Amino acid sequence: MTLQQPTVDMAEALRLAMQRADPNLSRFDPLPRIISLDDFSRGHCGWSQLVGNYEDDLDTMLPGYAQHTGAMLSTLGHWDSGSHGGMDSSYALKIATRPKAGAQNVAIKRHTFRKRGPIRFEVYFTFKPEASELRLSETDVRSVGFLFDLQGGDRDGDGERVMPHLRFLNALDGEHAQKWQFKTETTPFKPIGSTDKTLSHYHLSPDDWRDLPAGGQRLCYNEIPTKVNWTYLCFDFDLETMKATGLRCNDREFDMTGFDSIRMPAMKNLWCMLNFCLFAETDVDKRAFLYVDSICISGDF
Amino acid sequence: MLPENITAVVARNERWSGNAASEPHEAGWAREAVIFVRALKEPSGTQPTVHVEISPDGMRWIAEGTAAEMPSQKDGIAVLRVAHFGNWLRVAASFEDGAESTVLVTVHLKA
Repeated sequence: MTLQQPTVDMAEALRLAMQRADPNLSRFDPLPRIISLDDFSRGHCGWSQLVGNYEDDLDTMLPGYAQHTGAMLSTLGHWDSGSHGGMDSSYALKIATRPKAGAQNVAIKRHTFRKRGPIRFEVYFTFKPEASELRLSETDVRSVGFLFDLQGGDRDGDGERVMPHLRFLNALDGEHAQKWQFKTETTPFKPIGSTDKTLSHYHLSPDDWRDLPAGGQRLCYNEIPTKVNWTYLCFDFDLETMKATGLRCNDREFDMTGFDSIRMPAMKNLWCMLNFCLFAETDVDKRAFLYVDSICISGDF
Repeated sequence: MLPENITAVVARNERWSGNAASEPHEAGWAREAVIFVRALKEPSGTQPTVHVEISPDGMRWIAEGTAAEMPSQKDGIAVLRVAHFGNWLRVAASFEDGAESTVLVTVHLKA
């Protein structure tokens, strides 16, 4: 009798077995180290309002940031059917725009990293417009998306701030686009205030979005504005090379060789920054809602 | 686990005039809310009453009954305390022609 050689080492097998037996983790594919597991039945889990930079006076804040409001804990309560609830709790994080075409809102989670290596961002999300009309409204949400804001360590010598951006462009000016886009440009840096210490740029400006090659995808959009279905998203990024290495959404895997990030010279106070943002944009004068059931951020370190 | 407790900024540096209101805020998980309305600049004109409003759906609004006078000078703060508000909360005020205030509205929610 010969012993069968294990195909994976025992530690990895144990890790996978424990993860898959854990109802909170089983629906994710995390890398070996979990940085955070956000289940919004336990509060906001550090997802706060992205506030713009300012100095002396809030009037100095760029308008793109001034419009932001705080994310909410929502039961997805609807006028016709009551609370929809999350995947396995009553709650989800809700990021709501104002009711003005082009309005955006952004929630942010701010970390720093311990090691430059692979990180994975997994999210279960859905989006809907405010159910203020008795019609399908499938082109009312312009987009939902996410971005990272990253910078290497102070001794790394590569001197770059890197901001990968991806959005699912649902509709633009009423046209149902349904495709993934990225951007590599931000607006020029603008000094804020009078001391030359504070700068701001509007990296979510509506300009310069580019189509991800073969990035069309028709997501599940249920038949009235108050029916929602949760969608899985997974984005892989390597902090060592500062390059995206993968994007999956439900059953689709996208080729990221044509993807790049917004890149700019390193800033003097953002070393090892590891920020995550989620955002929503509306295409019409109606609030757009991005709902997030849960988020798992993991790394290999 | 400690009960959830959140400070939400629902209006920041917003210039309120005419019929003004904060964006809807979902807070069905919270048992109580304290709302502060701070004048960030010197208000102009007669300052109205600010009301707490509740809603069955986040779209249709009804006065809850709690009200306070809008601050009459810069850095003045109005405070409103509510419980039993269901799921949605906002504050609203109706300004006379020519009156306005630039506000910071914060909602302090506790489970």
